[in-house]
Amino acid sequence: MTSTIAPVAADAREEGASAPDEWARARGEELLSIERLHHRWKGPKPPVLSNVSLALHPGEVTWIGGRNGVGKTTLLRLAGGILLPQRGSVRMGELTPTAKGGRYQRRIGYLSAGDRGLHARMRVRQQLDYWARLAYVPRARRATLVAAALGHFGLRELAEQRVDRMSMGQRQRIRLAMAFLHEPRLLLLDEPRNSLDDEGYKLLGAQIQRATAAGAAVLWCSPRGEDRVLTCDAGYTLEDGRLERVQ
Amino acid sequence: MRAWCDAMWGIVRRDAILFASYRTQLVSQVVSPVFALAIFYYISHMLGRSFHSPGGYFGYVIVGLVIVEILTLSLGLMPGVVRQELVAGTIERFLVSAHGPVNGILGTMLFPLCNAFFSGFLTLMLAALIFGLPLASTAILAIPVALLGVVAFLPFALLLVSIVMAFKQVAGVSQFIVSAIALVGGLYFPIALLPGWIRWASEVQPFTPATDLMRHLLVNAPLTDSASVELLKLVLFSTVLLPAGFALLRLSIRYGQRTGTVAEY
Repeated sequence: MTSTIAPVAADAREEGASAPDEWARARGEELLSIERLHHRWKGPKPPVLSNVSLALHPGEVTWIGGRNGVGKTTLLRLAGGILLPQRGSVRMGELTPTAKGGRYQRRIGYLSAGDRGLHARMRVRQQLDYWARLAYVPRARRATLVAAALGHFGLRELAEQRVDRMSMGQRQRIRLAMAFLHEPRLLLLDEPRNSLDDEGYKLLGAQIQRATAAGAAVLWCSPRGEDRVLTCDAGYTLEDGRLERVQ
Repeated sequence: MRAWCDAMWGIVRRDAILFASYRTQLVSQVVSPVFALAIFYYISHMLGRSFHSPGGYFGYVIVGLVIVEILTLSLGLMPGVVRQELVAGTIERFLVSAHGPVNGILGTMLFPLCNAFFSGFLTLMLAALIFGLPLASTAILAIPVALLGVVAFLPFALLLVSIVMAFKQVAGVSQFIVSAIALVGGLYFPIALLPGWIRWASEVQPFTPATDLMRHLLVNAPLTDSASVELLKLVLFSTVLLPAGFALLRLSIRYGQRTGTVAEY
């Protein structure tokens, strides 16, 4: 059932990083650094993000809350490189989201809000294998990681079933399995608790613990405090384009 | 490179799985060319010997039909496929993956292109086996020319997909382009019949040399220029237009990422 997260030191060596995450954690270095981020949607509205700065450290879980439409998803999309900053910067060490060869994206696991992003007529195993390929998981590790992801989110018995014949909670588990599958160093989770039953929530908690123990950082966004992960190292609310620390 | 190939194969495999999951799709794709072939077979009979080309009008138009089929199944469908990915939120997967959105969208184009290629080949085989089209001994050489033609078509698909990425919709535009190409590319009738003021359009796109070469190789139709000149035109169009197409796609994605509209649909 358990599979080990690739040793971060080896990973860092392979990708030419300057220092392994273990050292970074020991020295309190940042895994993700968001600085003076600014984003404004078209039209005469105030900016949705205004001079937002945030640092995520290896092994930490950070929660961001706030009202609907306040800009949590925009912030996560900017951190994930889906959107590019209009002003300010997003960095993971030396890497920015526009780094060549998808070097930034290899290090992130992203879960969007809602139930989108799945191919309805594919089977669960096919879906995960497809994602592993897009994430450039090496051929030799692909089957192992797909099998592990199925196990970690209680999807083994559903592996050969089509996605469009599943409940919303089961779909959410597949989406979570995809976010964690390639053992990213940074997990960006937008309302991950959506539609999950108690067992699914426990499985998610266990995977977050496992990932942070291996040096990953987690950024969890949800509107309400009670939806946040059980233990988090820092908490913020987003209001009027600014982040305010609440924990 | 290996990871890139694995990801591309993953996308093609995904599209093949989705295509095969709709069972009637393949059947209709195999059966419908028979009707088009039958219509043009009888029109050709009606025209008799008044149309001067090896294999008569049927031999002439069959290449046009194959190319229209390839265009409809590739150029015509691709913007819709990418729009569908936007609506389903699966484009977002490309944006957060190591493979990236440009490679992802290119991968999304591969299965429709392969499918269009297969369908064109099938139409040709049906024309030969059911309607007795005499294929020339050089017909086999049409395969590499067709592949080069596909490379030359790709920039047009990239243009349409870029419009979808930037503005979310190209309803009707792809059909308009396919029809315009059919008109000025000489797919159904010789371009010499076109009025002089529009004939220039036949010279500024890759479809006319591709059609002429294919027709020459498949049914021995005479060429207006030499084969090497036609081939050179095709290579030049591909060399110039393909990088421009990719640059445009990259630009449209970056525009969406900066303005925030990339995830909209």
